[in-house]
Amino acid sequence: MSLIGASVPRGDAVAKVTGRAVYGVDVRLPGMVHARLLRSPIPAGRIVTLDVDDAWAVDGVLAVCTADDAPPRRTGLAVYDQRLFADDVVRYEGEPIAAVVAETEAAARRALEAIRLELEPWEPVAGPEQALDPATRLVHPHWAEYEVAPGLEFRRHGNVAAEMISDPGDVDAVFARAPFVVEDEYRANRQYQAYLEPKHAVVDYQGGRYTVYVAHQYPFNVRDRLAQILGVAVSRIRVVCPTIGGGFGAKLDVGLEPYAAVLARKVGRPVRIVNDRLEDLLTCTSREDAIVQIRSAVDEDGRILARELTCLMNCGAYAGDMPFLASIPLHLAGSVYRVGTARVEARVLYTNTAPTGAMRGVGGTYLTFAVERHMDHIAAELGMGRRELRLRNLFRDGDRMLTGQVIDQAGTLRQAFDRMEQVAPWAQVTAPRPLHGVGLAALIWLTNPMPGSATLKLNEDGTLGVVTAATENGSGAVAMGLTQIAAEELGLRPSDVVVLAPDTDAAAYDAGSQGSRTTHVVGAAIRKAAAEVRRRIFDVAAEMLEVSVDDLELVDGTVGVVGDPGSRVPLGEVARTATFTTGPIAATGAYRTPMPAHDPTCATGLLFPSFPTPTFHLHLAEVEVDPVTGRIHVVRYVVVQDVGRAINPTGIRGQIQGGVTQGLGYALFEQLDFDGARYRQRSLETYRLPTAVDVPRVEVELIENADPAGPYGAKGVAEPPVVPVAVAVANAVSDAVGAPFDRLPVTPEDVLAALEERRRRP
Amino acid sequence: MELSLTVNGQPAVVDVPPGTTLLEVLRDELGLTGTKEVCDEGECGACTVIVDGRPLDACIYAAHAADRAEVLTVEGLAAGDELTDLQRAFVEAGSVQCGFCTPGFLVMATHLLETAAELSEEQVRRGLAGNLCRCTGYAQIVDAVLAVGRGA
Amino acid sequence: MDFRRAGTTDEIVSILAEVGPDATLLAGGTDVMVQYLRGEIAPKLLVHIEQVDELAGVDEADGRVDIGALTTHLTLSEDPVIRRTVPGLAEAASQVGGHQTQAVGTVGGNLCNASPAADTAPPLLVADAELRLRSAAGTRTVPLDRFFLGRRHTARRPDEVLTSIAVRPLPSHAGETYLKVGRRGAMEVAIVGLAARLVLDDDGDVVTDARLAVCSMAPRPLRLPDAERLLVGSRGEPEAVAAAADAVQETTEPIDDARARAAYRRRLVPRLLAEAVRLCMRRARGEEESWS
Repeated sequence: MSLIGASVPRGDAVAKVTGRAVYGVDVRLPGMVHARLLRSPIPAGRIVTLDVDDAWAVDGVLAVCTADDAPPRRTGLAVYDQRLFADDVVRYEGEPIAAVVAETEAAARRALEAIRLELEPWEPVAGPEQALDPATRLVHPHWAEYEVAPGLEFRRHGNVAAEMISDPGDVDAVFARAPFVVEDEYRANRQYQAYLEPKHAVVDYQGGRYTVYVAHQYPFNVRDRLAQILGVAVSRIRVVCPTIGGGFGAKLDVGLEPYAAVLARKVGRPVRIVNDRLEDLLTCTSREDAIVQIRSAVDEDGRILARELTCLMNCGAYAGDMPFLASIPLHLAGSVYRVGTARVEARVLYTNTAPTGAMRGVGGTYLTFAVERHMDHIAAELGMGRRELRLRNLFRDGDRMLTGQVIDQAGTLRQAFDRMEQVAPWAQVTAPRPLHGVGLAALIWLTNPMPGSATLKLNEDGTLGVVTAATENGSGAVAMGLTQIAAEELGLRPSDVVVLAPDTDAAAYDAGSQGSRTTHVVGAAIRKAAAEVRRRIFDVAAEMLEVSVDDLELVDGTVGVVGDPGSRVPLGEVARTATFTTGPIAATGAYRTPMPAHDPTCATGLLFPSFPTPTFHLHLAEVEVDPVTGRIHVVRYVVVQDVGRAINPTGIRGQIQGGVTQGLGYALFEQLDFDGARYRQRSLETYRLPTAVDVPRVEVELIENADPAGPYGAKGVAEPPVVPVAVAVANAVSDAVGAPFDRLPVTPEDVLAALEERRRRP
Repeated sequence: MELSLTVNGQPAVVDVPPGTTLLEVLRDELGLTGTKEVCDEGECGACTVIVDGRPLDACIYAAHAADRAEVLTVEGLAAGDELTDLQRAFVEAGSVQCGFCTPGFLVMATHLLETAAELSEEQVRRGLAGNLCRCTGYAQIVDAVLAVGRGA
Repeated sequence: MDFRRAGTTDEIVSILAEVGPDATLLAGGTDVMVQYLRGEIAPKLLVHIEQVDELAGVDEADGRVDIGALTTHLTLSEDPVIRRTVPGLAEAASQVGGHQTQAVGTVGGNLCNASPAADTAPPLLVADAELRLRSAAGTRTVPLDRFFLGRRHTARRPDEVLTSIAVRPLPSHAGETYLKVGRRGAMEVAIVGLAARLVLDDDGDVVTDARLAVCSMAPRPLRLPDAERLLVGSRGEPEAVAAAADAVQETTEPIDDARARAAYRRRLVPRLLAEAVRLCMRRARGEEESWS
């Protein structure tokens, strides 16, 4: 029986339910000491005094470190704009200014209190609009001197850390003669990834090498970024990943590792550093806040003729990975629905707020919010049904995105609408009911194409070792997906597959758990390696069984002869024979998704040029609004999702339910806004994650349109379910209240205000 | 300041300053790292343990308040390698993703199952509202608790 | 900091007599420990009183109900006497944090912490609660509406321990509720909490007595006598409720904070009041079960 499509329990579940799984924060090394950071208490200002002498004197303190004794260079992912410690100027609340390391955490805390810090506060650059204003102070006055990562080309100027512009030149002419023009502005708050395990690191420095223990989504990026920051060769760094307690994009770049590394080298003992929850919330690279302006030219039949979309993205004090995300507006402004021609501009803006960055569904959440809210507005302007408008403009097989990329399977969207109609007939769910509303949102998303590899080795007892730096971030991509694929390929039970935890010394490069890539990319790599392992097994077994390799098959941990159930040899015997004759059976496979063709002249600053292995999504939300409190109850939520091939349906349902829940948090509960440039919400009490009583059971409908290159046809699954949720909900609330909700999160406060407004209107 | 307590049936004596939390004693003194630290203020339930029959957040419970108490943590649920029905249900139902919240959910749900005659889905969700999960969206956790509650 | 355990009320009283303002009483610790860990309080001594059994439990006698200060939220929400005689308190207690907080958090702690958002305060205010405070000098009784002096500031003297809370049970022809507004369905610090107790005439028609109280609308939980007077004699008609809501707006001073805006809190007042009046009248007439 095939394991593909079977809901096999995940391989790490028993360790996790018994409390035996060792997470990053659980790592303890002999002789380990404890570090803490002194962080800026204000969002902007100049350091007047930084006197650490008294900190050195605190009992148990081993070292204190500031910008003066840290690596001098500025580094970054796209723009080299950030030093390890603030030197002269602080640019966000929480920015590290100094570090201490002591025998105990308590001593480290006492030492921080002994540091004398005086700051001259400046008026912070608080938001993207202010940052754009030519009268505003520059967050980085020396921006022009900053280097950019090799091979990247994009425009930067003043507080604009990155700019992406696509202008085909014919847009204004179409608008000029369009029968209808519909225009909107949408705003979205930040979202804190709120992984439960705080950021942390343990670093040991021995014999000129750094060993980093950190539960991370992208161990090879820790290696590379640490090498960049410390100015050492990548081979001087080894990254070992214990079990990870969630990441959702915030653990793709380095975090605390460089501080622990600098201190470990100074004191010659392993150094542990862990954020407390407040530090973590204040300094996490949360999903950026953004403002999207969108304008569409439409004809009488509801056909979109042209579009203009401008997106301001707040990257906070340092650019991080945001210059790459500036490409997303171009991908989403004109996919799913045909828009004729379009001008798209995106600007990433420096402000005196915590740096932002990748979170599950990068950029997609608020761009889809804009595009799909705007569709509802267009439908209202035209007096057309909201579903009907969408169907009229819907992509078909072979339609092109604004980048010129052809979407071969775009007709899957129509399939999704049809499937939705079966489970939630539009006329039925939209039958008028007071304070009840329905929202719809569709999406084309990508599967991250970046490279990965796996080495399979057949153990001498017939089990299989898998050496890969693919990370199990909790999604099941390794503990279910890769485990099942490896077992299936070699006729083994999933429990006979042993996956080594990521170790950059052991495994070849892997681009980490991001963009739903692991099952797709590393799964394909495993299949390649498995083909070679199988060939070697058959070569040895053919001699042992005295038959031709063409007659052999792998069944239940044995090599058998097709059609002759009596002739079998256990894999362990084959492995032992091979090992001591021709040598151990092992093979490595590697894969990277080829990038789909796009038109390189379509834009400037397009650092993320295409959407490989696209997937197709349709979400429907039904809400009820409480007239007393304005609270919004999501009473039904349906997801139709194309997954290529469902490797583990239970796992996929868990990813969709979990992604939708994060989307509901973003839509309704998770408010991260500013009092000036400081976050108002400063704990998990006021930063509200959805609880078990706040979310409905999501209805899941899978479409399996296989991807030719994916393992068994599998495409990316886990990232996109978060993306269309906020807008499905916002559309439903707008429908229920009879007023537009164009800001995220949608709050009971805004609902009550709108209900009152509606009552006042005639 | 010394205190003695029984954790998962094992007596233990530790010497920690007043104001130390029970969570710190479990993780740092006794090496029981299964119980997790997340919010440090009783908002997330990741550190749920049972003290003398009451489920509580160990991150805000004074260690010395647990002097002479019986404490049950996630490590004390299974009998050796023999998982409890609830642990098995978590494995089967897909209730575990990153797993960082799992110990708290298991301890809390174990208590709910032991103290209620029968549990509706609504009661399970209410009972688990003090435990945050960022991965699963709760449905598969609720499934596992209901499956055991029904004696499945 | 020192830590001592008290086994009896006498012990608490004698420790407080000795140490006074330098001591903080520790019951379930769900507020005290959070404040201690955040560095908001720095007591010289924590006195662990959680196991003083004589301070826990509910007693009903002579038309009064006595609630021990160490009664937990979980007990309040489940206790049959509380559910019958002060149903609004049971309703409130069931909404304090999660199960873990309810299992150890106590009503006495909730009151003495004097958070502006204390959930048990409004239903106790509408039940005319009186607090018994004991010190070496003796016992005195303080009405709850004179106990709260401001945010985290009460009439309790440093040498006193709150021992019990006496409440007036719900009379016949009366209905009671506690309505709590949060963004989520659980784990919320009240954006607004409103308790109401209405007594109707024998025909179940006219309001003969009204008690209203709110939390999170001022630096301390408040009884709302002006609004109460405007409901007495009414039949709960919209005009009377609107007038009472206006009176609430005048006596309260909500703020913007990380949880909600003042404007929202103000918008909620007339709506919650109307809903509370509707619920209380239905419950008073037996048309609807009290909260369960």
